[in-house]
Amino acid sequence: MLHRRFYQFLIIYGLGLGLLLVLKYSLNLSDYVIPSPDEIGRTGRAYAGPYLLAVLNTLGVAILGHILSICLATIVAVIGRLTAWIGSFIRTAAFNIQAYPIVAVAPIIFILLGDGLPSRLLIAAMICYFPLLLSFIGVFSEPVREIEHFYESTGRMTWRLQVKIRAFENIHKLTTVVVGSATMAMVGTIVAEFIAATAGIGYSIRIALYQSDLAKILVALFLVGVGTSLYLVSLEWAGNAIQRRLKSA
Amino acid sequence: MPIEGRHISYGYPNAPGGVFSDLNFRISGPGFHALFGPSGVGKTTLARMLSGAIKGYAGEMIENEIRRVLYTYNLERLPGWSNVRAHFEEVAPAANLRRMDELIETFDMAEQMGSRFHRLSLGQQNRANLIRYLLQEFDLLIMDESLANVDELTREKIILKVKAIFPERCFLYISHNVAEVAKFCREILVLRSPSKTPQVVSVQGHDQREGAEFHPGRLERAMLEIVHAA
Repeated sequence: MLHRRFYQFLIIYGLGLGLLLVLKYSLNLSDYVIPSPDEIGRTGRAYAGPYLLAVLNTLGVAILGHILSICLATIVAVIGRLTAWIGSFIRTAAFNIQAYPIVAVAPIIFILLGDGLPSRLLIAAMICYFPLLLSFIGVFSEPVREIEHFYESTGRMTWRLQVKIRAFENIHKLTTVVVGSATMAMVGTIVAEFIAATAGIGYSIRIALYQSDLAKILVALFLVGVGTSLYLVSLEWAGNAIQRRLKSA
Repeated sequence: MPIEGRHISYGYPNAPGGVFSDLNFRISGPGFHALFGPSGVGKTTLARMLSGAIKGYAGEMIENEIRRVLYTYNLERLPGWSNVRAHFEEVAPAANLRRMDELIETFDMAEQMGSRFHRLSLGQQNRANLIRYLLQEFDLLIMDESLANVDELTREKIILKVKAIFPERCFLYISHNVAEVAKFCREILVLRSPSKTPQVVSVQGHDQREGAEFHPGRLERAMLEIVHAA
């Protein structure tokens, strides 16, 4: 799984880099616009260490934000399951709020909370929260009648049991959504850092942009891709392990 | 404990035509009874009315001394997080656990007790589902195609044993098998389309019991009456 995910990333990264170099040499662009492979290599060796630490910093915030949004989405979806009206209200609100691009909301968060960890964490959580919430509400509001009927007719149904049944029956869907939203958490954190933070790989990319140093940006993007791939692979592994354990006879 | 329906009329909202129009029926007391009729005539609807899942119908449903009605159907599933035995032990009232092994043996399910539900065949799944209902407290158990996909010999063994174990309970067995309902059931309510009057015809079945004498003539007569009524 790790190999596949990593090879896929390398292919995409290699294609992007190749396209840039084709542009550079076909249009005879200077090293200032698109750096040469030598320069990219030199920059990579020089900045791999600090950029790796910055990526780990970003990844840490993204993971925390992701966990926060999963917990929040679970709580809200479980509450939203109680009545059709509350569920419908939450779903509509989530759709509407989701329509606002997080980049547009991010400055407000930075104005209110400053440019520290809370802002990065909040933006990371917000960007993956609404897709998670919509999926979770869908899962927890949909009865699994062929299983729930017995518990309801014998008077054994409790809200915990109902949530357990629906989560168990939709474990594959839930795992897929959680894995899918991990990329968004990473994107959200980088966007937050790019806009106003003073740490993380997004902040490093912003500095490199101000210096018009594409080599640094390419190195940063490579490390972001590696970090994201590792996180996704870890989540997929955990999701598969949970599914195997739950369904094994 | 008679069960009686008087002047029942009902139609699903936004559906053309009614399912029942002035329907009257009576089940005289405990025993193994049947609800028989062609597909779409309203057997499941009537069963769900009796179980209280459908309300808002015209007429009167009298279920004297019937405190607990359970309705089970053949598409139900056991949750997949535990094996079949663990599920039975979890859902059976302590007082009824003593019956578990007897039912498992009757239903020929001993070898499947350690398996998860999704690993069972369709017939085994239906049997497992029925066992857990029989382990509950009930006065009337409605079995909607509950023994579908179960072979004939095992079905016969199960029905005879259920009748022997629960002589004081009331069962309403929904099936499309004329010979089966005629042989094992005491009263067969033959449900017909709303255009026919009366909409329900009651037929006396052979009511075969474990160890009792079998009368082919009575069975034949019951079968003919059912087919004629339908």
